[in-house]
Amino acid sequence: MAAPVPSYSEQAALSLAMAVVASSPGPLLLLDGDLNIVAASASFAEAFDIDPASVAGRPLAALGAGEWAAPQLQALLDATASGAPTIEAYEMDLKRRGRKTRRLIIHAQRLVYLDLGNPRLLMAVTDVTDSRASAKAKDETLRQNLVLLQEVRHRVANSLQIIASVLLQNAKKTQSDETRGHLKDAHNRVMSVAELERQLTGSGDGHLDVGVYFTNLCASIEASMIRDHDLISLDATGAGGVVPVRVSTSLGLIVTELVINAVKHAFPEGRHGKIVVDFALHGPNWVLSVTDDGVGMPTDTAHIRVGLGTSIVQALAKQLDATVETEPGHPGTRVAIIHTQIALVDEDTVDDADAPAVALPAA
Amino acid sequence: MNAPTPGKTLLIVEDEILPAMALQAELEDAGYHVMDLTGLHQEALAAARERKPDLALVNIRLQGRDDGIALAVDLKAMGIPVLFISGQVSRARTAQTVAIGSLPKPYDAADMVAAVDYLLARLTGDESLPRPFHLEVFLPVTGSLLPDAAE
Repeated sequence: MAAPVPSYSEQAALSLAMAVVASSPGPLLLLDGDLNIVAASASFAEAFDIDPASVAGRPLAALGAGEWAAPQLQALLDATASGAPTIEAYEMDLKRRGRKTRRLIIHAQRLVYLDLGNPRLLMAVTDVTDSRASAKAKDETLRQNLVLLQEVRHRVANSLQIIASVLLQNAKKTQSDETRGHLKDAHNRVMSVAELERQLTGSGDGHLDVGVYFTNLCASIEASMIRDHDLISLDATGAGGVVPVRVSTSLGLIVTELVINAVKHAFPEGRHGKIVVDFALHGPNWVLSVTDDGVGMPTDTAHIRVGLGTSIVQALAKQLDATVETEPGHPGTRVAIIHTQIALVDEDTVDDADAPAVALPAA
Repeated sequence: MNAPTPGKTLLIVEDEILPAMALQAELEDAGYHVMDLTGLHQEALAAARERKPDLALVNIRLQGRDDGIALAVDLKAMGIPVLFISGQVSRARTAQTVAIGSLPKPYDAADMVAAVDYLLARLTGDESLPRPFHLEVFLPVTGSLLPDAAE
């Protein structure tokens, strides 16, 4: 018996369906239950270099030079046409002679419509070859950058080691106690930056946990400056906090200067005592203090000499928009570097939990 | 500062002469005998054969194409314990089966003396010294620090 002639409205619906498939911007095929092509989008013909006029009515497996005849794809499509679940993302390599292999992702689903006796499959093809290659290239660039960063940090560490070694050698050779003291101070300053570099090796985002940094820095200073650990102790306290590297560099140098000063002057003639480095962060404001329980500052101001260390502390504090306050510690001395920035805080910065806890001072 | 065991001999293998010299001076001041400095694999091996050091301080980057990890493998085979003194921290960690510790650059010379004191004490079973802050000790189980000589 001849198939019934479709009515005008049926023809219109069929033509609409064909037009929708043909105009799809992404490669799209409409297949029948035997995997013959009912319609193909122009984008499919263009993407896979197939003559659009020769497509309709041909089996999918006969397209091109047979490159779509992959047995696993055919089996999956057959199963879907028979009622198996939708093929969500089947990956396959499309191999064509004389061309580069393309990596494709196939999505295919059986259409639900009125004519249950004539199953139809809609097969969408996404070519991910270029995007995958681009992502791979990006990953490779990132990996190379990390290798480069490690190499730069390694070189910086090496250079700091050389500088510190030269200063130490000079300090050992010099006859003058005063010069030796200056050279050792310079050595400690270099090691303060070196400690920061060591810390940065484990951090890639330009921020640093001051608490950890100060703990390590104090351990370094203690090892190099304090000969008798039973006499003088040096500890870092406070919850710390994350600050930009620029800020932490200055903070580390300030700590180094203040600790050098305390070790040199607070405990004369074998006096016992302790030095405590504390950092308290409150939003954008912070207080860094170095407290000792030594002999305290000389009461006679004529005996107070402004040395290089004091100048460095003042200059760095100014750079950080902070003030330096020195007060008696009963016993000893407390030097506090206070940064108050409430009036300058940008609201977005405060609200953003990922933002650095300390804002950079205005340049 | 802890007094080192008298008479202990150290080998420093480092491609950068200035840090090597500073290290040598600091360790000698602390009472150690430091062998002639070298930055070459074969030269270091020859020196180690002539006078077996108690500990070798080895940088990972050496002169020319020489590599400190390869040297550490050879030194371990001779029964000589190795301390890595390189800024290449991750490479040192991957080679921890051939070394007993790592004190990465940039290190303080005083820290290095403390690290050597500590490791030499551990090698003789003395665990009384505190571990220097930056020293990473590999194979920390008591008695396992001495490498097995293959020879």
